Amino acid sequence: MADADQINQPTANRSFNDAMVVDANASRLDGVAKVTGRARYARDVTVPGMLYVQGIRSPWGVGKLAAIDVPAAKAIPGVVDVVVERDTGEYDGDWIGHVVAESRLALRRAMRALAPRWERGEPKVGIDPGQVVLDAPDEGASAAYRRAAHIFEAEYSTPVQTHSALETHGLVVEHRGESAIVHASTQGTFAVAEEIARFIGLPRSRYEVRCEYVGGGFGAKFQIGREGSTAATVAAATKRSVHSFCTRREEHLDTGNRPSSHIKVKLGVARDGAILGGQIAVFGGTGVARGGGGASIPSRRYALGEVSAKTTNVRFNAGAPRAMRAPGHPQGAFAEELMLDEVAALAGVDPLELRLRLDTDESGARRAMYRAGAEMIGWSRRHANGAVPEEGGPIRTGLGVGSTSWGALRGPAQAEIVVHRDGAVELRSGAQDIGTGFRTVIGIAAADALGVPLESIDVRIGRSTLPEGPASGGSVTTPSVTPAVIAAAQDAKRQLLEVAAQRLGVAAARLTIVGGNLRDGERVALAWADLCRLLPTESVVGSGRFDGRGGTLFGEGHSHGVQFAEVEVDIETGVIGVRRVIAFQACGRILCRKTAESQVIGGVIQGLSYALFENRLLDRKTGAMVNPNLEAYKILGSVDMPVIEPILWSDATQTGARGLGEPPVIPTAGAVACAVLNAVGAPVRHLPMTPDKVLAAVDAAAAQPAGQPADGRPRREGGAA
Amino acid sequence: MQTLGLSSAAAAVGGAAQEARAAIAEAAGPTTLGPDPVAVRLTVNGLRQEITIDPATTLLEAIRGELGLTGCKEICDRGACGGCSVLVDGKLVVSCMMLAIDAEDRRIETVEGLATGDQLTALQEAFIRHDALQCGFCTPGLVVACTALLREHPKPTLEQIKRGISGNLCRCGTYTNIFNAVLDASGQPVPADPAPPWPANGGA
Repeated sequence: MADADQINQPTANRSFNDAMVVDANASRLDGVAKVTGRARYARDVTVPGMLYVQGIRSPWGVGKLAAIDVPAAKAIPGVVDVVVERDTGEYDGDWIGHVVAESRLALRRAMRALAPRWERGEPKVGIDPGQVVLDAPDEGASAAYRRAAHIFEAEYSTPVQTHSALETHGLVVEHRGESAIVHASTQGTFAVAEEIARFIGLPRSRYEVRCEYVGGGFGAKFQIGREGSTAATVAAATKRSVHSFCTRREEHLDTGNRPSSHIKVKLGVARDGAILGGQIAVFGGTGVARGGGGASIPSRRYALGEVSAKTTNVRFNAGAPRAMRAPGHPQGAFAEELMLDEVAALAGVDPLELRLRLDTDESGARRAMYRAGAEMIGWSRRHANGAVPEEGGPIRTGLGVGSTSWGALRGPAQAEIVVHRDGAVELRSGAQDIGTGFRTVIGIAAADALGVPLESIDVRIGRSTLPEGPASGGSVTTPSVTPAVIAAAQDAKRQLLEVAAQRLGVAAARLTIVGGNLRDGERVALAWADLCRLLPTESVVGSGRFDGRGGTLFGEGHSHGVQFAEVEVDIETGVIGVRRVIAFQACGRILCRKTAESQVIGGVIQGLSYALFENRLLDRKTGAMVNPNLEAYKILGSVDMPVIEPILWSDATQTGARGLGEPPVIPTAGAVACAVLNAVGAPVRHLPMTPDKVLAAVDAAAAQPAGQPADGRPRREGGAA
Repeated sequence: MQTLGLSSAAAAVGGAAQEARAAIAEAAGPTTLGPDPVAVRLTVNGLRQEITIDPATTLLEAIRGELGLTGCKEICDRGACGGCSVLVDGKLVVSCMMLAIDAEDRRIETVEGLATGDQLTALQEAFIRHDALQCGFCTPGLVVACTALLREHPKPTLEQIKRGISGNLCRCGTYTNIFNAVLDASGQPVPADPAPPWPANGGA
């Protein structure tokens, strides 16, 4: 077992800068499987004779089941069982029972035959704006207000965003009598293995969880949900295979979301724009959950003086949140970035200049990004907020900027590298690739450490019977597993070199493996196949383990980032067109440039979609979601796309690989909101920035002299649920 | 129960066979199929197969469930995301919005039929090279949609690419790289990486 303590140091034979990108050209190892349709997702698995399960769910925010025709459903040919557990529902999509059938068609017919009759109660559907108030200021805030030249007050809100992974939640239990394979769409192979133990009726040694391909997770797929636990229970009872996946509608209603927030801010601002302190109150929606609401503001990326912050969870009749890509952060960053631009306008300071003054990053990385980005986007041409261009016309342009930071979170992980006598190399990690590029990234780490080409490594992942790795959350997978992989490669290499040294009669210290060849000093001593043929056993197994120490959320090793956005706003239609986003992102050592850039681009796109479109809308009267689909729940599409330029930042102070799932999604909405303020002259404080709210901001700006700073009074734009 | 007249109206594309059938249906009054399963001949990727299905089965369900070709995905199940895109008589169709019985005797191409053995198409190669995929769940639909686009516009502009795939949703956010892949596959220049105006290694 190799020691992983030194793994995150740059290797000795490479210059430091080169070590920052380990492989600049490698393409995703599962590319062929994905572009040919051969990649088999859990949703694609069918087992002959399998049963199908679907939930019976409440259609209203508050519902009481008055009648349901269970006998009629049971009478449908192919229906195996109908279970109604309770007769009340607390939110649209609340699971109250399920149907088991031999086919999808029988399932559909049974669902219709149930013809449930529901009585509707009075739901609470969101955060009541009336409750969004500040407490009496404490001593620090009071002092800030007394010393202030300006008092800035504003209220921001963010909607519920659903994860909308394209593969819905669910799993297939392939039951084989005395054992089972669980094909799960999950971002936590081992989490599923652990959770399903309570339902599947088999010891852990008798089932395996598989998820070789996962159609997106974004934080919502750590748990098996009712759809998974019911499938396992039915499989255990019948000893038959069971298929259970949410419909798109269920996916929106009951598989988690990024919760809504209302954020009230009151700050004391000095004449030069310095923020002296104040109060921030966050009211975070939790749906029917008891916690999990909120927004990460203040973020600690800016020195805001003495700010007292308070979070209040607000329960109402809607599906519960789950972690979503940087939980709490995009909400907080939207409010914080826009707040900074409004404060800058109030004090007559350039918003970039204000950020450079308030930035708390002692490494200086973010300041360097601010300066580089300003040059790239042409910040010097930024006009005053709401300035009308000379040529007239309805198009206004604006620039905005926002920042991000994510800690180097890590967890324990193991990995194995098996080198076979025929020369085959297997890399084994049970953790999963939900689209991040994990499969490719660990392959590159192994190839680099073992000294063989990437193509020669067969990467096996996504199985609970392989060495344990973390769930894909908190951007931990890459930084946790790669040290274990490198340690495993070093262990395998040491064993190979020992065998070779003995057989060749030379000192092991003289031998190395480079480009797949055994070298004795500079001389190629043996080709890979000949080296492996020397093995006295069929294979050697290199084992690696990483203990997970050496990183905390706000500890050493941050992935800093800065994003610049350029927008154009049509003040006659209220439509925002984002032209360009430049995304600087530090991430330590970059193992695979292509997949790293994709993570950044993807984060920006999800941030743009959050800024402009996404909104889970509940009917105020019934509590029913009015857009539980993919045509009315609008997600950014190809025609909405700006130019996005990801810039992977080589942060010289960091040498380890860090995850990239969360950091790039954080600042985008805030940067766009600042650009919109710059374009139209008044803020849109409520996401999504739909045309109605933009037009209200245009009206608000028209009501004040052009170029006048925003005064912070609440505008007329509509509130979000 | 389904009638041919109704199912034809629900189909996403027109076609000679369908028109002919509609004319027959009109002349004879609506023909009723079901509730019993019916035999349907589907020609998918050049292979003609007969399956027996409930007449309400969509083309998507038939391709995935009966023929075992799981490349096309069921994502929204109502024509909003393009994840189930296939080509029917060369035209791009969302197969969740078409009944299998309406695809009878028509030429159906799925993502599985694009490559010749292990020889990928130039577009598929470009998708991989430009990392135009992440989780990969939308990828088969996008590969099919881009294939249709390139057959119609061998050298599409960026605007044509954006419009050409506007019926396909990707949640991971691969659009930038898809644009580049299509440009590259059609022999057009791809926007270069930005030249950063600062020294390497962030000036550190």
